[in-house]
Formats: sequence, structure tokens, C-alpha cells
Amino acid sequence: MKYNAGIDIGGTFTDLICVSSKGDTLIHKTLSTPEDPSIGFINGIREIAAIAKQPFETFIASIDTIVHGTTVATNALLTLKGAKVALITTKGFRDALEMRRGIREEQYNNHYKNVVPLVPRYLRFTINERIGSEGNIISKLKVKDLLPLIQKIIEEKVESVAICFMNSYKNPIHEKQALTFLRKKLPGVFVTASFEVLPSIRFYERISTTAVSAFVGPILSTYLDNLTQKLADNHFKGSLLIMQSNGGVVVPEQVRKNPAVTVLSGPAAAPTAGAFYSKMLGYKNCITVDMGGTSFDAALVIENQCVTSTEGAINRYRIALPSLDIITIGAGGGSIGWLNNGGLLQMGPQSAGAIPGPVCYDKGGKIPACTDADLILGYLNPDFFAGGKLKLSKTKAAQAIKEVLASKLGLSVHETAAGMFRIINSNMAQGVREISVERGYDPREFLFIVAGGAGSIHASEICKELEIPMFLVPNVSSIFCAAGMLMGDLKHDYIRSYFTSFKQLDKKIFLSCFNEMKAEGIHALHDEEGVKHNRISFHPILDMRYAGQYHEVQLETSWEEIMSFNIEQVFERFHKEHNRQFGYSLKEEGTEMELINLRLRVLGKTEKPKFLSVNTEFIPAESAIKEFRKVYIPELNRMKEVPVYDGDKPIFGALLNGPCMIEKITTSVFVSENYDCMVDDYGSFIVYEKEKFPQGFSLIHKTTEAYAY
Amino acid sequence: MHIDKILVSIFQRAFKSITDEMSISLTKTTRSPILCEAKDFVTGLYDATGQMLEQTENLPILSFSLGPVCRVILEQYGNDISEGDVIIHNDVFSMGNQNNDVAIFKPIFYNKELVGWSAAKGHQADIGGAVQGGYNPNATEVWQEAIRIPAVKIVEKGKLRKDVWNLIFANIRLQMVQEDIKAQIGACTLGERRLQAFVTKYGLEVFDAHKQALFDATEKMMRAEIKAIPDGVYKGSSMVYYDGKHVGSKFPIRTEITVKNEEIIFDFSKSSTQTKGFVNGTYTSTCSAITLTFLQIVNPNIPHNEGMIKPLKYIVPEGTILNASYPAATTFGNHLCPQVADAIFKALGPAVPEKVTGGWNHLLCSLFTGNHPKTGKKYVDICFLGMKGGSGALKGDDGYDHIGMIDASGGVLDQDYEMYEQQTPHMVLQHEYLCDSGGAGQWRGGLGTVTQIMLKGNDTTMVVFGDGDVETNYGLFGGKGSLLNKIELKYADGKKRIPMSKDMIHGIPDNTLYKQIAGGGGGYGNPKKRNKEKVLQDVKNEVVSKKAAINLYGLKK
Repeated sequence: MKYNAGIDIGGTFTDLICVSSKGDTLIHKTLSTPEDPSIGFINGIREIAAIAKQPFETFIASIDTIVHGTTVATNALLTLKGAKVALITTKGFRDALEMRRGIREEQYNNHYKNVVPLVPRYLRFTINERIGSEGNIISKLKVKDLLPLIQKIIEEKVESVAICFMNSYKNPIHEKQALTFLRKKLPGVFVTASFEVLPSIRFYERISTTAVSAFVGPILSTYLDNLTQKLADNHFKGSLLIMQSNGGVVVPEQVRKNPAVTVLSGPAAAPTAGAFYSKMLGYKNCITVDMGGTSFDAALVIENQCVTSTEGAINRYRIALPSLDIITIGAGGGSIGWLNNGGLLQMGPQSAGAIPGPVCYDKGGKIPACTDADLILGYLNPDFFAGGKLKLSKTKAAQAIKEVLASKLGLSVHETAAGMFRIINSNMAQGVREISVERGYDPREFLFIVAGGAGSIHASEICKELEIPMFLVPNVSSIFCAAGMLMGDLKHDYIRSYFTSFKQLDKKIFLSCFNEMKAEGIHALHDEEGVKHNRISFHPILDMRYAGQYHEVQLETSWEEIMSFNIEQVFERFHKEHNRQFGYSLKEEGTEMELINLRLRVLGKTEKPKFLSVNTEFIPAESAIKEFRKVYIPELNRMKEVPVYDGDKPIFGALLNGPCMIEKITTSVFVSENYDCMVDDYGSFIVYEKEKFPQGFSLIHKTTEAYAY
Repeated sequence: MHIDKILVSIFQRAFKSITDEMSISLTKTTRSPILCEAKDFVTGLYDATGQMLEQTENLPILSFSLGPVCRVILEQYGNDISEGDVIIHNDVFSMGNQNNDVAIFKPIFYNKELVGWSAAKGHQADIGGAVQGGYNPNATEVWQEAIRIPAVKIVEKGKLRKDVWNLIFANIRLQMVQEDIKAQIGACTLGERRLQAFVTKYGLEVFDAHKQALFDATEKMMRAEIKAIPDGVYKGSSMVYYDGKHVGSKFPIRTEITVKNEEIIFDFSKSSTQTKGFVNGTYTSTCSAITLTFLQIVNPNIPHNEGMIKPLKYIVPEGTILNASYPAATTFGNHLCPQVADAIFKALGPAVPEKVTGGWNHLLCSLFTGNHPKTGKKYVDICFLGMKGGSGALKGDDGYDHIGMIDASGGVLDQDYEMYEQQTPHMVLQHEYLCDSGGAGQWRGGLGTVTQIMLKGNDTTMVVFGDGDVETNYGLFGGKGSLLNKIELKYADGKKRIPMSKDMIHGIPDNTLYKQIAGGGGGYGNPKKRNKEKVLQDVKNEVVSKKAAINLYGLKK
């Protein structure tokens, strides 16, 4: 039997999913090994082999493909433990990287600090060369001018070099010359240039992205070397693919060329999985949310495609490569409750983290966190947290809530916990609003998919605030990202800047840019990654705006439309898209339009795993009731005794009336008073408002169409 | 009525999310770069009596600019306010802050009862008057600067008053302004819908009681902050140079701040009388300047609602340079903010030495217009990237580098160099930190910048407005001031010209080199006490010269 594996390495846990060619699914979570994550990677495979009751050697040899999401690059940016980088740029522009266009995010806070630049000023070198705004050479680069810089780079033991010259997006000749020369003179040093990373207009965006690439490059390379070596040592014969921030996968060699593509390698898998699940259930659009220990991620899937953005940043470091558009807010199980000077209760964004963690972990935490409130409100079982591996102390949680918050608010412990619950839910609802409403989408038209251990306790309240009628907790909710890795296609993004008004658009340049990008895509996918031609597809995107505007719209088009040069049709769709996003178009006014960038996304379709629907054996829901427990019912604003179902029992097809709780080893689902829950044939939970579906689940399949779009 | 304390927290978040959403909508839909790039606009929600529920001011200088107008509208219209009305206003003699800042107000109704207002105010690319863009250094009366719009309905009960609309826009140069005003109305409609849904959800009684509780809690926060300042009367002053009319003229700004228990009074009565030029403030712009400076002294997380401003008292008599009488020219008024801030920081320095900063770099700014040879089209460009110097240092932290004037406090983005070279004919040659520009101190002032741009095209016009080229800004407690601002034109034939701080130069020829220095911020504390590691780091990074390290910071050779 052959397997496909998805392996997602996070800060605390390494999540694994293996799907056999028959559709059998194995799921496992093991501890991460942050000093060398490849150890946890191999441990995980070893342990999952044991679950499959197979010898490790046989099992690993039977894996065809491993898709891997890594936080190596993300952590390097978050903890500032990347390479020692030097930057070489055009004379006169030494400080663009650090200036960040002169922004201070907190305007009233004089203690607010600028980011620590990824390259300190003494390692930012400038050189005499200049390309003009039309790509003309104004001042020629003399490579021998680089020699004194090379000397300093060697003296300073620099590990990585980034090159970014003015207007190189128009003409990269100087960057190419410098790159070749430096690579020759600096063996063993990672050298990259902006034309390789992001050949598009906007100097700050390009220099920042290139610096990120150079900063994470060496450690990512080392990690990939380690990993491929370990896999080879253990006789893995399949192929290894790496998840990128854009939700697609690539071979490790591609990642080495442009390491910045992996900064969202982990979280990007959630919307990718969301796209797959919603399609499987017959929906086009979904919102995926993932509530972890410290943060809450939300992303959109539209027309079965994950939404991408080039506006991203991590830890305030700007990365302008196409990445899945994921909003992250500081709301998680560890988010702490506190009172501001006016005595108003606040939740987060500060987090108790994993250590000491919430008070109920009993590891020395003193400040009550969201998990403490969830415990007091009965949503968590103190003896069954992580399947009973971690005992939770209700007494300690109650005491902390009382001392730190309740006594000052003049409320009871339960009232305070309920307040914490409501406030964090309203924070998360705001995150969902940001990703949907503020981008011009109505969240009520989306299937709401909840991943992560704690999210499914809070989901019904988030949905209520946004009037979303139902949500889905997938059977693999707790390892949702690992599952998403198996659903990504091979994906390469290319860009050419071509700044012109449409009136002056030169058809020859326009088409040759696209054909060039197409050839690069075919080379990468077919020649390097071995994808058959009939599985390769091309998706052009035009960055456009009305003349005089500063913010552009990324308009998706089709290869046929581009090749047939059907510009009128493109205009029509641009007016429409502008109207959808911003509430108006300037079609009537006849305003001119401008082109900024041409983009091409090249996809190589991968074989997706088939999941078995496990409806062969099932038991009636009543027999899965573990106990009755008092939980907080927000609609009634009081505690009430409800049945607790064992969600790991095969209760497929069951209809569970709210209010109730469903407990799995890794997830708890809270079905509130106004909700019912249907368990589908895959063991996923569909929770919906009773009023919207008065006759129970028999109506869902009919009604979902109405809500699907 | 019972107050649900948790609900009060939720109200605060909900109001904030509404004004934020209005703000994002405006960023994305407006066309003038002053709005969508520099974000010179504010969005707000008010209750039925004009009390601020929340606001998102993208630039701090707008922190006080909507509330007074809301009250003017309420007074003017009384009961004559209906659902679907839209009111427009810019008049600086009825509580407007600057002629170019045009406000849109939309009343919000619930069950036929007025429950609140949504509002948006933005700096328009043109507002009529003698000079495009509104900055007319020669103006002596308001009509030479702008069309006056006292509160007037442009939409009545949902129906556009085309006649009024046409009257206003017949007096404004750019079509773009109409589009941007439509975008402001759109943002207000967004706010209206969401506040309406909110009141519907909770009912009017709960809404009223909890919003009041929110004001009370916020006021309590502000009063606690004021109480932490020792009681006393504190005096500070600063100087405004050159009114655009009389070379060598100068005008003192004087403040007397009285702190008494939980109240604070800012009295600017002893400031200079108004000028004959356009270097004059309005009541509202001055109160904004006071508010934003004080907010930098207190906990930055206080919610921005009526409770925040309630304990603050402003005395700014009419006829002074900070509140000019009708019909004075006032367009420069917002840029008196740096001097107002200086006076307040200097006054409160002895009382709260750990909260105040050294002097911030004052604004000196250029605006270029001309025809782009490539497209043949007119362009307007405010040279944001050249004008931003450093902020003053404060106890425990160096100043912020290249942040720009305190009125914006880092809210205005530089243009991207490559985009700049596409949208104007000019070529950027240098934009870097300037060595030794941060005022020396135990904590160093933020760095200023040096900018060089080759001006292309044969007929460039440059308008200059600002200050900071006469007197260096101040350091505190032994800290030093920084460099002066400077703009210089070097023509192709080698001749040089240094413009006045309020000036207009026509017909600048091709290949003229524009050079600008934006000074840094003032230092804090004796530079000899600066951590030696930091001094060495600054020297290594070439932001402090070896010479300065030895002479000012006492580093051994």
C-alpha cells in the first residue's frame, strides 16, 4: 500500500497525516524538536508507522510523497535569529530598508520602537551605478568597485548577501553582473538579488523582500540539507515537497532559490484545506479560522480558490510576494484578561504562552487566560484535556479570576469568566470582519470552517455576532494544516512590471512578458519538477487601477483572454471588480486605466488523496454520551446541564440537539442552546442554527445550496 | 438602569471597529494622494448631542476636528434634521480647522429618533481660492484661500441637492474632489448602517446608558493620568518665524498650563496677536494640537471618546495667532502644531520629566507642480519623503528617526522612489539618514534626512511652506538641539537659490538640483552619560561621527 503524508511542524507540536491509496487516514501529533526540527519529523513518521502496525523501514519506503510545512523561516523572523546579512544597493539609498517609508504605527506612543533592521547600517553598502526610470543605463556598474565591499564582507564574517538596485525591475543587468561576481568571489556565502526574488516596481517592497530572503536563506538551506539527508538515510524514496506562503507546493531546490516563499509555510495550509473541504461538501466559498494558543488566524476561499495578497508582513518585516491573505490577531487560549485604567475588562493580545501558560495548567501562571474562563464555564473537561495528558486545576483558575478580575469588577467568578468569553469572542469576530467585510465580502455567504483545538468552543458565538448561520468542524480539525498540505498544487508565481496607461499599451511587450513567464513556468514545473504538460495550467493576473489612483486591483484573467488581447473585456471586468471592492466604478466617467504589473501563476495539478467516507459501522448517538455537565449557555446567560458526547466514537450521521458538548481527544465542540449539530459521513461536525433549519439535518443538503453562494 | 460592565467593553470595541472600517473604506476609495497615501482624514461617530463615541484619526492633528462642527450643526438645524440628510462643512469661522479639510456629517436615526452621527473629514486636493491646492503664501483673507462652506445640506432626505452641489463644485478646480467627497459620503453611510444595526440590537435605553458608562470610565482614566501630574502652574513658550509677508517677522507662542487635581487648563492667551499673512491658527486646529501633544504624555491606550477630552480645558482667545478673527487667512494654521507642542513639552518638562520629549523637527515642505513630459499631463506632488525629520528623545528612549512633524507622528508615508520616478519627471538621487542630525543626549534625538532630487521638465513650480530654518529645536535636561531645516535649488548653470520658508517659485528649469535637509529631533539628558556601547554602535553605523562622539559624547580618542 502506498501513502501520501502531510507534515506540519509548529512551535509545540509536529502534526502528521498519512492517507493511503485506499483512502485510509492516519493522524498523529508528536512533540516538536525546535533545536533541529528534522528530528521530530522522523520521530513522527516512526510513531505513525507504529500506529499503522508496520515496521518503520517498510512504512517510510511506502510513502510516495511528503508535503512539508515548516516554521523555520517564520521563527527566524519572529526571533531575529537569521543569518548575518550584508546589503548592497545603489548610491544614495542606504537607508530605505530601515526607514520603512517613515512610518510609526503607534502615533501617540513615544516609546514605540522601529523594527531592528535585518541588515544593520554598517553592513549596508552602496555602490556607484544607476539605471534610469525607463531602464536606461545612466551610470555604469564597475564590478571592481565591489572588491572593497567583498573585503569587508569577508572580514565581518557575513553569511548572506542581498543585492537590490534602483529600477532593476526595468533592467536587471547591473544586479546580474554583481550577483555573478559576488557568487564567484564569495563561495560558501548565500547571495541573492532582487530580480530573482521579486522583479517588480516599488523599491521599498523589493529591498525588504530581498533582505528577508537573504536573512532566512542560509538557515533554511541548512535545515533542508539535514532533512533530505535524514530522509535518504532512512531509505525514503518518494519525493519531498515544501508548502509555500501562496498555498502551493514546490520542490526543495526551488525554495533554496527564493527562501522568502516559505515565511507562511505552515498557516497557508489552513485555507488550502478549507478550499478542499468546502468543495467536497459542495460549497464555493468558505472562511477558515484557526484558534491556537496565542493567535487566531482567519482566511478566505472564494470560488474554491484561496485568496492571495501581496500586502503581507511578518513581525513588521514587509514581504511583497504573493501569499495567502491571512489575518492574525492576538486571541488564543493563552490570551490574558486584564482591566484598563478605567476598570474595563480586556482580553489579550498578550498571551500567557505555553510556559507558564494559563493558570489552570498549574505551572506557575498567575494571570487568568481564556482557557481558564473556558474551564470555569464547563467547556473544558479538567480530566480530559489533550485526552487526559494534562490535568487542569479548576480551583486555581477560579481563584485567579477572582483575585485579578472579579473582585475589582464586583462580579462573581462565573460572571467574570462569561465576560472574558464574550469579549474574546467579539475580538475574534472582529478578525473575521476584517478578512471579509473590510475586503468587500459578506461573511454570511461563506461556509465557516473551524480548525484548531479551542476554536470550536468559541465558534457559535463568533458566528452569532456575524449572523453566520452554520459552521463546520472537520474531523481533522486539530491537524487541519497538515491535512491541507496534501491538497496543495505545485505553484509558481511570476511577475513583470510594465507601468503604462492602456492607451499606450504595446501589444508586443505585453504578450512577450506573458510568454516569457510561461516559459519559465514550464521549465520549473515540467523540466525540474517532472509535471506532465497536460496537468500544467496558466493563470494571468493584471495589477490595474484608474489613472491617478494609488492602490491597484489585482484582476484575474484567463490565458485565452490575454492571448486574444481582449482588452475591452478586461476593462469591463475591472469596472465590476472595483465596484465590488469599493462600492463604485468610474465606467461612466470614462476614466483612463493604468497597468502596473503583469503576473502569471503557473499550477501543476497534483494527485489529491481520496478520503473514505466511514459510514460502514456506526453507533446510535445516545450510547456515546459520556456524562452530563454544567456549561455556560450564552443565550440564557447562565449555567445549564448538558449531555457530553464522545466525539471519537463512530456516531456518523447522528443529529445532536443543542445545547450539548462533543469531546474528542484533541478538540471540544460546544453546541449552544440555539444550535443543532449533524455528524457527517466523514466524522466532521456541522453545527447550525435551529431556526434556520427547523426540520433538522434532512433539510441541510437542500438548504445549503441557498447558503452556499 | 443596570450597567453590564462587560457590555461597556464590547461597546468600546464595536465603536472602534466601525470608525476603523469607515477609515479603511476611505483609504481605498479616495484618489487624492493626500487622502489615500498621507491619510489626512478622520472618521468618527457621535451621539445625538454631538458627544464623541469614537474616532479614527489617521493623523493626530485631526484629533479634535469633528466634535465642535457636530455641535455647530446641531445648533444651526435644531429639529430640522431628517433621516437621509447629508451635511457638508469646511468653514473655519464656524469651528472648521482648515479650509481644505471638508467634513461630511450624516445623522443616524432609530425608530424615527435621532440617535447619533457618522462623520468623515478629509483634506481636499483643492478648495478654490487663488491658488490650486489652497496653500497661498500671499493670502491675507479667507476668500483668497478657499470657498467657505458653512454647514449646508447637500443631500436632503436621501435626495441630492444638485443645485447646491453644483454651486460648491463650480468653485473647486479638480473633478477629483467631487469623487473624494462621494467617497466620504460612502464612508458615513457605512458608519450609519453599522451604528443603526448596533442600536437595533441593544435597544436605545441600553445604548444610552452604556455609552454614558463608557464615557465615565474613559474620563476616569484621563483624570487618573492628570492626577499623576503634580499640581501647579507651568509656563512654556516657542517661536513662529516669518508670516510670508514680512521678512524677519516672528511671533511668540506662550502657554500657561494649570494642573489642579484631576483637571488641566491650557491657556494660550499670552501668545502673539494674529499675523497679516496666512500663518494663523483656528480654534479647532489649535485645540487639536494641544490634544495630540497631551495624548503623547499620557497612556496611549485611552479610548478616544468624549470622556477623554472632558477633563481638558482650552483657553485660546480670538484675535491671537492661534485663533485668528474673521476674515483672516489661516491655511498654515495646522503647521503651528509643532510650536504649540514645543511650548507644552517645555512647560510640563519640570513637572513630568519622564514623559516629555526633546523638540521634534518642524515641518518644512515643498510642493511641485508641472507637466509630465512623458504623458503631457499635469502632476501635483507633495514631497513627503524630503520633509520628514526626527522626533525628540525622551527618558529611556532615543527619538524616532525620519518620522516627520508631530502633527502626523509617523502617519505620513514617503513616496516609493520608483513610483515617484514614474509619476513625476524627476529623478531621486539621494534619500538617507544624515550623520550627526540627531540632537546629542543621553538619549539621542531621532535622525533627520538628506534628500536630493534632480528636477526635470522645463516649467516646474515649487511652493514652500514650513518653518524650522531659523532656530534649532531644543534639547532637554542637558540634551542638545539638532540641525536646521534647509532647502536649496542649484540650477544647471551653477547658481543657487534658497527659498523662504513660505515661498512660491515659478518656472524652475530642467536639471535643477533640489536639495533638502530635514533636521533631527532634540536630545534628552547629558550626552556624556550616554551608554558607551550605544555611542560606539552609532559611530559604527555612521549616524554619529567620530568627531561628535569625542566632542559631544566624551568618547576617548
